[in-house]
Amino acid sequence: MLKLIGLEMKKFKIRGYFRTALIIYLIIAAFMCLVTWGQTFEGETQSPAQSYSELLPMMDTLARVTFIVFASVLLSRFVIDEFKTKSITVLFMYPINRKKLIFAKLLIVMGFTFINIILSNVFINVVYFVFNSFLHVVPNDLTLSVLLKHSLSVFMNTIAASCMSLIPLYIGMRKYSVPATIITSLLIVSVFGSQINGFSLNSIIIIPVILAAVGLVIAYISIKNVENVDLIK
Amino acid sequence: MTYILRTNHLTKTIQGKELVSNVSLNIRKGEIYGFLGPNGAGKTTIMKMISNLVKPTQGEIELFGEKLTNTSFQVLGRMGLIIEYPIFYDKLTARENLELHCEYMGYHDKNAIDEALNLVNLKGIEGKAVKDFSLGMKQRLGIARAISTKPELLILDEPINGLDPLGIKELRDLFKMLCKEFGITIFISSHILGEIELIADTIGVINHGKLIKEVSMDEITDQNMEYIEVMSNDCKRIAYVLEHHLSINNFKVIDEQFIRIYDTQISQSEITKALVLNDVNIESIQTKRSSLEDYFLSLLNGGGIHA
Repeated sequence: MLKLIGLEMKKFKIRGYFRTALIIYLIIAAFMCLVTWGQTFEGETQSPAQSYSELLPMMDTLARVTFIVFASVLLSRFVIDEFKTKSITVLFMYPINRKKLIFAKLLIVMGFTFINIILSNVFINVVYFVFNSFLHVVPNDLTLSVLLKHSLSVFMNTIAASCMSLIPLYIGMRKYSVPATIITSLLIVSVFGSQINGFSLNSIIIIPVILAAVGLVIAYISIKNVENVDLIK
Repeated sequence: MTYILRTNHLTKTIQGKELVSNVSLNIRKGEIYGFLGPNGAGKTTIMKMISNLVKPTQGEIELFGEKLTNTSFQVLGRMGLIIEYPIFYDKLTARENLELHCEYMGYHDKNAIDEALNLVNLKGIEGKAVKDFSLGMKQRLGIARAISTKPELLILDEPINGLDPLGIKELRDLFKMLCKEFGITIFISSHILGEIELIADTIGVINHGKLIKEVSMDEITDQNMEYIEVMSNDCKRIAYVLEHHLSINNFKVIDEQFIRIYDTQISQSEITKALVLNDVNIESIQTKRSSLEDYFLSLLNGGGIHA
């Protein structure tokens, strides 16, 4: 299994994706810094964040949303495109269990999403912390307990997000369509990632749990079907 | 003789249309089996079923003496395949594609890739991305990939598409060599008769999803008698002369101009003499062998084997 994952990553040159991810970290971090900093000039009373602890969930959401969309790009490359260009027939002529082949691909997508959301959270927080300690944009009210509580919620959210990121697979596989895959993921994040006065669907705990479950079921179905499906076209 | 691949009343129906119906192939170990049929006859579908990419609606496939099921995959390790047209990971180079292939196949002979590339005469370009390859080069690379792991059974679907005449000859020699020296069984499909005729030991003819005939090449050669073809503008008269002066009944008027005499007892010069004596104009007369093409066409036209 590990070998399969390794081969897949080699085949699609996963390093390039990590490089892209790094650029995304930088952009999100810069975005957070600039937005909060800009507000200090305008002297707006309704600043989105009054304190550090309010900023943390925003950074998390931003990172999560971005990498759920990123995951759909990976799904397109690793799974949808393989079916679309028929290179999956090359893969299926190997003496390897087809379920394992697909499972390996999905694991990579989930793993990539998970690792990157966690890393980007850490990275953005650190960058912002350094930024804030120079410019004092928001009052630093960080305590160990706040940080711990946030870390736990990031961790849980990330697990949910990694599973959720597989939902576009279902839509994309119907017609082997890359645009459909990416649009589905955009829809998902726009519905569940958006906030209205600090309230988002994601904060009702049952919703991310259900979505994550849906993602896992979709993965299960795709893996289960792969041995019975005709690759005639 | 043991059979390496057999299909038993194989049928595939898609959306109510029978693409393949009731096909029973028998491919012996160590032979080159030519699979002949016009475009859309169902050759590729059958090959896809053998490689487990498409599941049969009915019937079964036996590979290396074992029944193929939806979940069998081990058996694929003993086969080399090109189905439809060679597909690669376009962005990777030729060598990377082959390396991946060997890794997935679990084949770890370092020289295998170079040997395979040598065999198909692809050298010096293995560092190029496959997307820049021509169809002919892709075909060669596909064959290199299929043979790199020294399979026992090679399934090649239209392998000579897109190749120049010289390349076709090279590959033909290569296939023969692989079969003879490495004992690889080759199941090759084509719609080009001449090619199959030159390399196959056994031929399966398929049309409209039905296997019309499965016959060994030797048998065809026996059946393919010589005939004498006369070209003239007065075929009626020739027929008359043949029947009444030479008492030959075994001939056939092809059209206005041609007449074929299948009687082997009589020599060409005797016919010529008789015709000239009876004042028939002959434009040409020659002895011919009916080729696989005639045989094939007669099969496809629904008839048995003529005369």
